[in-house]
Amino acid sequence: MSTPYVPLESTKIAADYQRDWAKGLRAQITSGAKYAFVNADTPHELFHHMGLPIVTNQWWSAIIAAKQLSEFYFDFMQAAGFHERLARYSSLPLIAELEGDATRQPWGGLPTPSILCARQSADDHQKVFSLWSEKTGAPLALISSPAVPDPQPDWWRLARDDWEALYRSDRLDLMVAEFEALIEQLEELTGTHFDRDTFALYMDRINEQERIYEKAAALIADAPQCPIRISEQIPNVMIPQWHRGSAWAIEHAQRFHDEVAARVAGRTGLVKNERIRMMWIGAGLWFDTGFYSAFEESHGAVFAWSMYLPFAADGYIRENKGDPLRALAARVSAMNEQLHQPPWINSWMVEQAKRFRIDVALMLIPEHDRFSGHGSLFAKQALEAAGIRVIEVWSDMVDQRQWNREEITARIVPELDDLLAEKV
Amino acid sequence: MTSLEAAVSAAAALERASKQQESYSNTASLPRIGVFGNGMPETLIAAAGALPVHVSVGTTEATHPITAVIEPFVDEQVRHFLIRLMNGDFAGLAGIVFARDDAPALIAYQYASEWIRQDREREATPPLFLWNLVHTGTRPAAEFNRTQAEKLFAFLGCAGLARPDDSKLAVAAGAEAERQEALGQLQIAVGVARSGRTAAAWRNAGRFMGAAEHASLLRSALAAPADVLNTTTRIGIVGSPLASPSTYAMIEQFGTVVCDQQNFGQMWPVPGNAKASLKDILAATAADPSCFRITPTSAYRAALVKNLLAARCSLVICQLAQTDDTFGWEIPALFTELAAHNVACINLGFRDAEPDAAWLEHASLTISRALEARK
Repeated sequence: MSTPYVPLESTKIAADYQRDWAKGLRAQITSGAKYAFVNADTPHELFHHMGLPIVTNQWWSAIIAAKQLSEFYFDFMQAAGFHERLARYSSLPLIAELEGDATRQPWGGLPTPSILCARQSADDHQKVFSLWSEKTGAPLALISSPAVPDPQPDWWRLARDDWEALYRSDRLDLMVAEFEALIEQLEELTGTHFDRDTFALYMDRINEQERIYEKAAALIADAPQCPIRISEQIPNVMIPQWHRGSAWAIEHAQRFHDEVAARVAGRTGLVKNERIRMMWIGAGLWFDTGFYSAFEESHGAVFAWSMYLPFAADGYIRENKGDPLRALAARVSAMNEQLHQPPWINSWMVEQAKRFRIDVALMLIPEHDRFSGHGSLFAKQALEAAGIRVIEVWSDMVDQRQWNREEITARIVPELDDLLAEKV
Repeated sequence: MTSLEAAVSAAAALERASKQQESYSNTASLPRIGVFGNGMPETLIAAAGALPVHVSVGTTEATHPITAVIEPFVDEQVRHFLIRLMNGDFAGLAGIVFARDDAPALIAYQYASEWIRQDREREATPPLFLWNLVHTGTRPAAEFNRTQAEKLFAFLGCAGLARPDDSKLAVAAGAEAERQEALGQLQIAVGVARSGRTAAAWRNAGRFMGAAEHASLLRSALAAPADVLNTTTRIGIVGSPLASPSTYAMIEQFGTVVCDQQNFGQMWPVPGNAKASLKDILAATAADPSCFRITPTSAYRAALVKNLLAARCSLVICQLAQTDDTFGWEIPALFTELAAHNVACINLGFRDAEPDAAWLEHASLTISRALEARK
């Protein structure tokens, strides 16, 4: 029997902070304070900077799923006439809203938002958010999403400084103009002025936060043994990410980094005898995060990588170059696409797999969130060509009806057995 | 040739083009530019001196190694296109333009571009271009769309075509206006002398020929002997792109399809085609409510309801591609709105591009039972 895994202090601190924040926000918005309901790939920075609280669609979706409510809502979704092949992750909050019994939802449900915001990165985002707008009467701000016609495979090398060339000036011009329109809308909504001078400083603070995560990712990648579970990586990155640039977020990023650094310095491994390193490709398995430790005892197999930590640096750090709003456009204009569109996804996966010394990749392919599923097989081939074993997981990040832990475990175990035999 | 013979010949030519698809244009004297998806105003290509030819309607029995990277949820039309592209079926085209805001077109472009970038196994393929038009009416969007037109002209320039000046745009738009007028006449004939199946076939024949030729053939063909019609019910079609003659035939057992509101129906040609200036072409295309990405979002369903009611439909049939992930969001509200106008709505569910006999029989039974229940 190996030594039990000891969770990070940071994880509890992050969870407590988010719970307190959620309670506070709930108290504020249920007593009439304004808030925005937004998609993950929208410019949260504008809302934060204007002091308008946000609830993020995908975070709320994960909360509903973690409360084991997704099965009920997806059954309702079909009963309401929405067919079973529509997106789940981005629509779960909408379905809960349409179902109407707020007492069933976490927090007793969300009051009507003052504004909704989505980017048209996926084909259905405008549909999901327009139904929410119809139901609640909240205005909908949609951000256009023209595609990059000639995406550079090594986007992460260019995205920090050369973002003008990478994302294309015409796209950035359009996005900045749409940000300006959104700022006007937010100024009207909040009755406050958008301070451009302090916005530059705020954007610098976000870069500072993401650089701390970059160092933490490097520690985990370079350590002889993986020091922490990805089920701890994820909240320690994503909770501060929802509050990015705030004093607490930066402080917490540093706290997390330091704790990881201490474990690496103390040669503390996630398991005593790490033998296989795995990566989880795709969004979190929100209703069964315990799965991420399922093969530690049996095979010495650890999940060393999920996208959230390394993406903090590659997906977020954008040098201001004297134009913070344009730098924000560079951050947002391909945020999701970099995780799903070939050649961006395949190239980044291979680079990350090599950096983290990955043996096996588990690739979540959600059939019903097409945007998240597209490009998966290109990525799979690229990883295999780089010598990584890839196991496809055809499931969904929030719909547990499509998850059979025993079945997937039975598929993974022989692969891990083979790999161990090869390593002998 | 008598006028009747000319009409029959024109009708046959339209049917032939509808079946032969892009190969109908093989003998064209002009360079041909492929178009994938709705939302690309063909006027711009025609004004540059090329023949726009659609490439997303066809299917193939062939296969190709590229299928190894196509997930099962990728639209069928994308799968067929990619196989055909990599097998060299479009090698004779001077280029292919993909309309970004038509969902399958973006995936087709991305997968094709990546396969080619990796220099994987394939026959000759033409240069590819992503048409990034944004569907909203703001000034920044108009500026962005203008930039995309310049990029298109540069792409066409690389294919040896001239940048169209105002007079060439006006000539091309004039041909499109003729086509629009002829399609208007065809629509008037639907339910009187033409079936919905014939209207769809004749309309889509225009995807494989020039606008002037299409207009001319339509005008002549309208004088051909009338179809045998079932006029008991005025039917509308909504949902995924449908180009299946057998499905039209099954539906038209119950009446005539007088309003065809799907991407292979009356959604094409885009409304901007007949405008005389670049600015107006772009603005009208950007405002096309048939695009899923139209802003404001309410415009899409509002246009559907308006068109179905204007066509006096008493029955609306919804049908979905196996991979639909977008139209499904409209169904409950659309059905509720139509029901308020006493329009019956039936959802046939998912189907293949060319459904098999069992699906057709089941769908027929579903419609029959639903109509019986309404009596």
